[in-house]
Amino acid sequence: MSQATATTAPETKMWGGGRSPFNVSYGKMMMWFFLLSDSFTFGALLIAYGTTRFFSAVWPDANQVFKSFPFMGEANLPLLFVSLMTFILIMSSVTMVLAVHAGHYGDKQGVIKWMLWTIVGGICFLSCQAWEWTHLHSEGGWWGSFINATDPVSTFQHFFNHHKESVQAALPAHGMQATHDFFNYFFTITGFHGAHVTSGVIFNIVVLINTVNGTYERRGHYEMVEKVGLYWHFVDLVWVFVFTCFYLL
Amino acid sequence: MSQHHNQNEIQHYYEGDQSKLYSGIMQHHTDVNSPESKKQIGRIWKVFWILLVVTLVEVVLGMFFSHQMPKALVAFFFLALTILKAGYIVAIFMHLGDEIKSFLIMVLIPLTLFIWFIIAFLADGGFWLFMNSHSPTR
Repeated sequence: MSQATATTAPETKMWGGGRSPFNVSYGKMMMWFFLLSDSFTFGALLIAYGTTRFFSAVWPDANQVFKSFPFMGEANLPLLFVSLMTFILIMSSVTMVLAVHAGHYGDKQGVIKWMLWTIVGGICFLSCQAWEWTHLHSEGGWWGSFINATDPVSTFQHFFNHHKESVQAALPAHGMQATHDFFNYFFTITGFHGAHVTSGVIFNIVVLINTVNGTYERRGHYEMVEKVGLYWHFVDLVWVFVFTCFYLL
Repeated sequence: MSQHHNQNEIQHYYEGDQSKLYSGIMQHHTDVNSPESKKQIGRIWKVFWILLVVTLVEVVLGMFFSHQMPKALVAFFFLALTILKAGYIVAIFMHLGDEIKSFLIMVLIPLTLFIWFIIAFLADGGFWLFMNSHSPTR
């Protein structure tokens, strides 16, 4: 792979001006800085979730909370739907990097094709999330839900692995608070991630329109595809961590 | 730069003369069907299969084995596999592995703060639980 730089300044003049010491354009570097700051925002949310979970005596069990699949009724299918969502997002990441690759070669038709698939993948993911939110809401989960202390244990015990003796023993005193905390974090963090996916889809649509109009062809490069690509991969990256924290651990 | 921006001067105001600042991979490839291009595409699909298989392993582990194994071991497996997936996404999909080393280090060093961040806050959470369940005043 050619690593040629446009200027032939010797290594000692690396920071002497007139070129990027990091060999990266301004826009791309700023995208990296933004993503770095965003990773701390997501990190703070996920670590707050972990802290709350550590100081809770019991915690809802992912295999109990997330066991439904559209049109499958009461079938017990733990983690299957979220696996599908994860697959969709990984797939859209692949199509995005293929769009970036096509951009490197100035292949306009390739960029259009792969950007379209990426947008389709993003919309599919958001639709899945909308279904999951609706489903959990129908089970009583929402921001600020499960706060009525007079409600019996039966209103929330199905979110827990309540066949285990130690869990059952802790439920009357701590179960409601844990369910309340769990859903607050779940909707806040997946909501914040979903907002990123939504804005990512919008950016992708803008870049697709510019590509179709030939804006980048006239400009001589498809760097904008690369920049929205970085953002899109970051959204996928965050989902990898959300998936682990909420559905696996 | 003369070959860029010459058809539409207004572009210059949006992008400036960025054309000479691209990283190596951005620079002037022409044939998308060249062996070099094919090799890149092959690498992308290889990473896709790795991510897919790792995710499937995680799901199977979460569905069938996570209740039989010690909690710490399960957590270790999941975190290790998550870091592995994150590494592939950042290095290959985000092309960080193709950037020069100083840029890579600049991005990664701030992230080491997470090591302190995670240990400190989880320890604090654990201590809260200990205080609440072992309080001498109760």
